[in-house]
Amino acid sequence: MTAQTKALVVAEAACARVAPVWPLQAFVAVNPYLGMADLSLPQAAQRLARVAGARTLQPRSVYLAALEAGEIAPEDLLAARAAMHGGDLPKDAAALIGLARDLPETDVQPLPTLVDLAGEADGRAWSDLVVERISAHAASVFDAGQAAWARPVDGLYAGWLMDARIDRTPDAAGLTGLRAQFAALPETAAALVEEAADELGLQGEALELYFHRLMMSVGGWAAYARHAAWQAGLEGRSDDTPLQLLAIRLAYDLAVLRANAENSALLEACQTAAAAYAQSDQAARALQLDCLLQTALERADARRLARDLEAGSAASADATDIATPGPDVQAVFCIDVRSEVYRRSLESVAPQVETLGFAGFFGFAIAYKGAGEEARSARCPVLLAPQAFVCEAVPSKDVAERAALTKRMASAWAAFKLAAVSSFAFVETAGLGYLGKLAADGFALGKRLDSRLAAAPPALVPSTAAGEATGLPLEQRIAAAEGALRGMSLTDGFARIVFLVGHGATSRNNPHAHGLDCGACGGQSGEANARVAAAVLNDPEVRAALVGRGIAIPQDTLFVAGLHDTTTDEVAILDAATVPASHAEDLAKLAEALQAAGRLTRAERALRIAGASETDIAARAADWAQVRPEWGLAGCSAFIAAPRARTAKVDLGGRAFLHTYDWRADEGFGVLEVVMTAPMVVASWINLQYYGSSVDQQVFGSGNKVLHNVVGGIGVLEGGGGDLRVGLPFQSLHDGEREAHAPRRLSVVIEAPQEAIRDVIARNDGVRQLLDSGWVSLFVMDGKGRIAARYAGDLAFEDWTDVSAPASALHREEAA
Amino acid sequence: MTQFLAFLPLAAPLALLAAAAVARTEPGLRPARALSAAGIASLVALGAALLSVMVLIATGAATSPLVGTAGIGLSVRLDALSVTMLGLVALVGVVVIRFSATYLDGDARQGLFMGRLCLTLAAVMLLVTSGNTVQLAMAWIATSLALHGLLVFYGDRRRAAIAARKKFIAARLGDVLLIAALVPLTLAFGTTDIATILGAAAGMEAAPAGVGFAAVLIALAALVKSAAFPTHGWLPEVMDTPTPVSALLHAGIINAGGFLAIRFADVLMLFTPSLHLLAIVGGFTALFGAVVMLTQTSVKVSLAWSTVAQMGFMLLQCGLGLFALATLHLVAHSLYKAHAFLSAGSAAETVGETRALARLSPAPGRIALAGGLALAVAVALSLGFSALLGAIFADTAAGTAAASPQAIALGAILVFGLTLMLVHAGPQDAEVAAGDAATVPSLPLARLLAVSAAVTLAYLALHALAQTLYAGVLPPPPAADAAGIAVMLLAVVSFGVVTVFQMVEPARAASPAWRAARVHLANGLYVNTLFNRLAGAYTASGHSKA
Repeated sequence: MTAQTKALVVAEAACARVAPVWPLQAFVAVNPYLGMADLSLPQAAQRLARVAGARTLQPRSVYLAALEAGEIAPEDLLAARAAMHGGDLPKDAAALIGLARDLPETDVQPLPTLVDLAGEADGRAWSDLVVERISAHAASVFDAGQAAWARPVDGLYAGWLMDARIDRTPDAAGLTGLRAQFAALPETAAALVEEAADELGLQGEALELYFHRLMMSVGGWAAYARHAAWQAGLEGRSDDTPLQLLAIRLAYDLAVLRANAENSALLEACQTAAAAYAQSDQAARALQLDCLLQTALERADARRLARDLEAGSAASADATDIATPGPDVQAVFCIDVRSEVYRRSLESVAPQVETLGFAGFFGFAIAYKGAGEEARSARCPVLLAPQAFVCEAVPSKDVAERAALTKRMASAWAAFKLAAVSSFAFVETAGLGYLGKLAADGFALGKRLDSRLAAAPPALVPSTAAGEATGLPLEQRIAAAEGALRGMSLTDGFARIVFLVGHGATSRNNPHAHGLDCGACGGQSGEANARVAAAVLNDPEVRAALVGRGIAIPQDTLFVAGLHDTTTDEVAILDAATVPASHAEDLAKLAEALQAAGRLTRAERALRIAGASETDIAARAADWAQVRPEWGLAGCSAFIAAPRARTAKVDLGGRAFLHTYDWRADEGFGVLEVVMTAPMVVASWINLQYYGSSVDQQVFGSGNKVLHNVVGGIGVLEGGGGDLRVGLPFQSLHDGEREAHAPRRLSVVIEAPQEAIRDVIARNDGVRQLLDSGWVSLFVMDGKGRIAARYAGDLAFEDWTDVSAPASALHREEAA
Repeated sequence: MTQFLAFLPLAAPLALLAAAAVARTEPGLRPARALSAAGIASLVALGAALLSVMVLIATGAATSPLVGTAGIGLSVRLDALSVTMLGLVALVGVVVIRFSATYLDGDARQGLFMGRLCLTLAAVMLLVTSGNTVQLAMAWIATSLALHGLLVFYGDRRRAAIAARKKFIAARLGDVLLIAALVPLTLAFGTTDIATILGAAAGMEAAPAGVGFAAVLIALAALVKSAAFPTHGWLPEVMDTPTPVSALLHAGIINAGGFLAIRFADVLMLFTPSLHLLAIVGGFTALFGAVVMLTQTSVKVSLAWSTVAQMGFMLLQCGLGLFALATLHLVAHSLYKAHAFLSAGSAAETVGETRALARLSPAPGRIALAGGLALAVAVALSLGFSALLGAIFADTAAGTAAASPQAIALGAILVFGLTLMLVHAGPQDAEVAAGDAATVPSLPLARLLAVSAAVTLAYLALHALAQTLYAGVLPPPPAADAAGIAVMLLAVVSFGVVTVFQMVEPARAASPAWRAARVHLANGLYVNTLFNRLAGAYTASGHSKA
């Protein structure tokens, strides 16, 4: 391997360290530590501190308070210490507590870049200028239509090079001489990376660290570039967008370096910095300590969860002693933590309803296009590529044509509104009309049609639209139907109604609205998938084929689609008009129960929302100024795959993902493998998204919502400029007085034989990495609903039957 | 009695000042009292503004007695202009205060924010209802200082601080210009009373000594305050402050410059070079801002450039002597822009809107045809409309102003706008029609003509209404002299050039010249960056975190 290609390999590795971010139209949660899965918490924390100045742990005061309150017991500290391989922290609890009080937190400072050093030498903020320039360019390249005068399509790096040779901004700002250097830069990103690697004089690990540092200096756009690569990967294409962004950032370094070839002070500073990059990644002692405290805190939480689950299982066992008839309704909700509250409410008001948990796309990985929409959207977890394309059924060609015409008319009007000269005439003729809009929006007047409920059912019959196959062929329907039913462990004992409930949120004027929608549906509202699933499962041909596969759905079982609005906790029965008369009464009863459950859920949720009450939840959702319409998945900390009986009697406080799973019905443990490789991973993405945004708002959060400025239609800036922001805004995590999310890495509880779980881990490197590095903790539930063991890494388990005792309060004297 | 009734508008700023005082006692998190005080005060202010309209209708224009001495003190001018502006600011105030109460919920300093918001609103209200030049100057300065408190609400944000510093510099320049204008004006007319000055000026044939000088300074102050080129740099950058501040700034405060020019229309009319100055700089700013706006990728910055353009256009209208139309433009723009900013969070949903515009590239024949049709629609309807008005109200201000050459020049800009809409007629361009769009039907010309006719009628009716409403307060356009005609021609030609540019641009965007033009324009011709550098934006260093 030549030196040149080595640089590119290193660059690719550095790019892979950055987690992608999805556009606002499909704003799903992403694990910000995605590229760190091979690193343990202290290693990742140390690295992120160096490359981004990021914090990865909570402030020490949080841990001290937990110690003080007895939430963390000495045994938690000891267990956390034992789990930490190496390091020079003391091994007894008292010494650790003493250290927690005395050892100051590490001051997180990123390593300097060449541009940083040049800025320091000149006493000028050149780093800000460079971020500003790259951000402006990336925004214009990735713009989905904000700028009417769009830039020509010419590639991220190539376009930048052409523009940078014209742009006078650096000169006007006082950073002269760059344009002359840009003129001499190579025309391709790969060539530039190789040239720069040569001149920077860094090798191997240090070079990767430096590239990573540069990517994080424009971390938001780096994440967006990674999204392009991610999508390409799903479609089987190769994509070097991240490398092009790295090349742009490197180009500034190279230009500054070459322009300062005579500047010995700067060159000396570069030498010093290079040495710092070459130093090892060993985490500082204080950082190790905080990692230990975080781990202890999570262990203490897991102990409490274990206690609650054991008590709940016991209560369930008592309850099922009384013989109960089969349920009237089986309602399947998304595994989303918000479903937990609603399911508990529904079960309490309607004991004849059984609830199940399953990923809210119901196993139908589709791309979907509503009748009024211009483009399709993927309605499946972002780990998957859509397997089929389904369109909303359009009543007739006339209606479709009329809608298309209206759209064209609207875009002609939009052109009149926004074009350079006509915008003046627009303001004079239509401006006064905005008085009405101000009043309507300011005072939430008028009712808006909920297009999710009003949409027509999907067209499933295979057909073509604009030269592309649409619909679901029978084979695909059968396979998806079987997969869905087995996946939710629902293969017999069907009730008269199986209610498939997708979910979506309602918020207005909210750039991150899709972040509140169903993640399993790719950040979209889940009604389309529920409709498709219900239609397929009601299909007589599908049912006939399923019998052959060992799943006999009774004739009088009807699948019905529903939509859970997680903001208002209204659950709607979709397309109720098409339900046969035989089931009308059942449905009416269900509708009543849903209403009552909604009220109960709102009342419980309102307690968590400052200043809200059960009755004004709906008004908040309709308010264009509302920055906290709901808490989303804040608080998520556990994932439980087990029969509902294990959790039905426990109040999990809307913090647990619940996946219905019965290992006894899972021959060959195929479903277990799916659960652990898909929903569990997605749950950890969500959990770590909340974690990352909480512990570092600056690097992994999107900051203050009141400053958000949508850029390119795809992301937000905080204020007028700077880098693209990723992650969750502050308002989604905190209400100003207290945090809505306590950062904890996910605890996964699975009821299944230990060996089966181990086999799945052994077979799947991604899952193993996640567990071995401690980003997720895994617990095994035994046949009595107790937590029997905890995965200890390296395919080994440790016994937890003794651990599950209720949290013993730490001796107050000791803590004080 | 009428004189004392003229004090009524004062209730609006007083209510808001009281709310600001309440907010002082509760500067922190979830300030219940401050929020209700602000909400009530904003409604009282709106009520006072509406009552003022009724008083105006019932008793006619008036100035309240002066509370003070030697011409210095508080007095209220109650006329169509002041009542319009007061109503506008009060309305924006109600919406913005209501919005902020929810939007900033949970902010550790929401009380402080509400207080500063109320204070700023009160200052603008005192400005637009000023009865004398001293109060006008004081309120002008107070508005900008109060606004500064809002712009640096998150003062530890570097960009907030820099932008506010730039705004501060521009504002002080505006202050100096205004004071330098008002002093000779007051001396020349021997009074601080604005109505007296305007009355005297309206009756004069030529400017007395010092007044021409004052007129030019008023024009300059208006330009600086409206963020006209080259002092526009701060406006697109003050985004590191909560959204409702942007709404208030762009819908209420940025109007101060235009208000000044319109308020002293009678004085400007005495010295037409001051008008030409407004028309040329305003017109250039309008086109400059509008074209730069097209290149911007973030919604708020794009809206800010749109404001730069719209204010430029409004000043062009002032420069053409069409003060009533300028007032209409101010009001309409404010309502539009307040809504646009407050709903900017929806930008991700509406981002596809501009695509049709971005990809449009019709053949020259199609442009010419659309232009011809637009011209035909506008001329036919204008003639019909004038005839109708003439038949109903013989010899009205509306009739005469509509026929002025200035109004016709402005009408040309409407025609350009309609042209941009009419080129969309027919089938969708092949290159635009991708994928599913292949089935999109062709857009019937009749539909677009109907919309164009509706737009033209709305335009004519609103212009006639504005001319009628402000007939007694604002002077009609001056007789066009040679210089005036040259300015008009320049305006019409350059707007026409930009219209054509807009349509041919997408096809040529990749050519070297257009690429270079795009880079230079997207960066606002670097005026901003130079201003940044002067304001010390790049001093201080350190590692950027992310």
